[in-house]
Amino acid sequence: MAPDKNPLPYTDTKPVGAADFYFAINATFRFVLRKLGADGLRRYWTHMGTHYHAPVTARWSAGGASAIAAHWRAFFAAEPGAEVEVSERGDIVRLEVKVCPAISHLRANRREIVPCYCQHCYFVSEAIAAPAGFTVRVSGGNGSCRQIFQRRDAQLPPQDFAQIKEATC
Amino acid sequence: MLGSYDFCGHYEWTFEWLREQGGDPLVRVYWDEAIHRDSQTHARELIVAGGIAGMKKYWAHTLDHEAAGFAITHKDDVIRIDMHDCPSKGFLIRNGLAQYRDYCDHCIGWIGPLMKEAGFVIDHAHNHCGQCWWEMRCADDFTPPSAKGELSGQGDVRLRSDWNQAGEMDVFQRATDVDDKTTASPA
Repeated sequence: MAPDKNPLPYTDTKPVGAADFYFAINATFRFVLRKLGADGLRRYWTHMGTHYHAPVTARWSAGGASAIAAHWRAFFAAEPGAEVEVSERGDIVRLEVKVCPAISHLRANRREIVPCYCQHCYFVSEAIAAPAGFTVRVSGGNGSCRQIFQRRDAQLPPQDFAQIKEATC
Repeated sequence: MLGSYDFCGHYEWTFEWLREQGGDPLVRVYWDEAIHRDSQTHARELIVAGGIAGMKKYWAHTLDHEAAGFAITHKDDVIRIDMHDCPSKGFLIRNGLAQYRDYCDHCIGWIGPLMKEAGFVIDHAHNHCGQCWWEMRCADDFTPPSAKGELSGQGDVRLRSDWNQAGEMDVFQRATDVDDKTTASPA
């Protein structure tokens, strides 16, 4: 796909990523948690969503729910081993993650997974979505989950972290 | 979700974020503890146990998996890697991503401590344009780095017409630490 047609702001010449990079993502979470604590890890995720992913926010701001759905379809098409259904109805975008590529690869390689691994999906996506006028709620985790993006004016209750499972090997 | 497809982008962003939190020492510890001793345990197991044979096995698999343009040359006492088209640095260049002052430092940042533990030293240079070369020898082997083309023939990245394109080169000699770097203007 030509870069100007790709819903993803950062594009590569290869069609999918290298799964072993999930090892480094997991190791980075563990390192930040050990050095900076849980607040530091949440700050890392939020800053990444706000700054590194700022071009994603810009696209979601301009394109609304359709841009969010297009982003996630392209995103998971480029993640090795992902099985995800993305649906859009009005201003609501729903991700049904049947096979999380990261948890699947870490587990297949018997890597110790940071227990709060799945929380990053909430913190990173919320930081991307909020300036675009959207919010996300995550439920499930540990290999499969549901993520729902809605307009912030939907007045949803805050994310319930008890709804996000701890990740296990 | 943080993905593998644009991993090099958020990995590079992370270096600068860590530097802002704890300075350069935190970045160095990250490369050693998180990458060398955690993420890359498979590399560590192969190389500490197998030496040059383990290095060949690790890099042949990894660089092929990442679709790199590279050449590996090895003898009993040395292994040389010529990187002609680094997929990682190339991704950053194509996407205009540059938060940390020298992304390329991360390689020796995690490989250096690993080689030290395995009993090897590194001769290395990178040109900040996705091209570099590496030679690993046992720490008690004082053979200097090879002359251009001596080990890897026409695959030697130093023979490229654009090898000196960046205007300065980062060079490491018998190194195992990112701070062993000297920066030189190309001859």
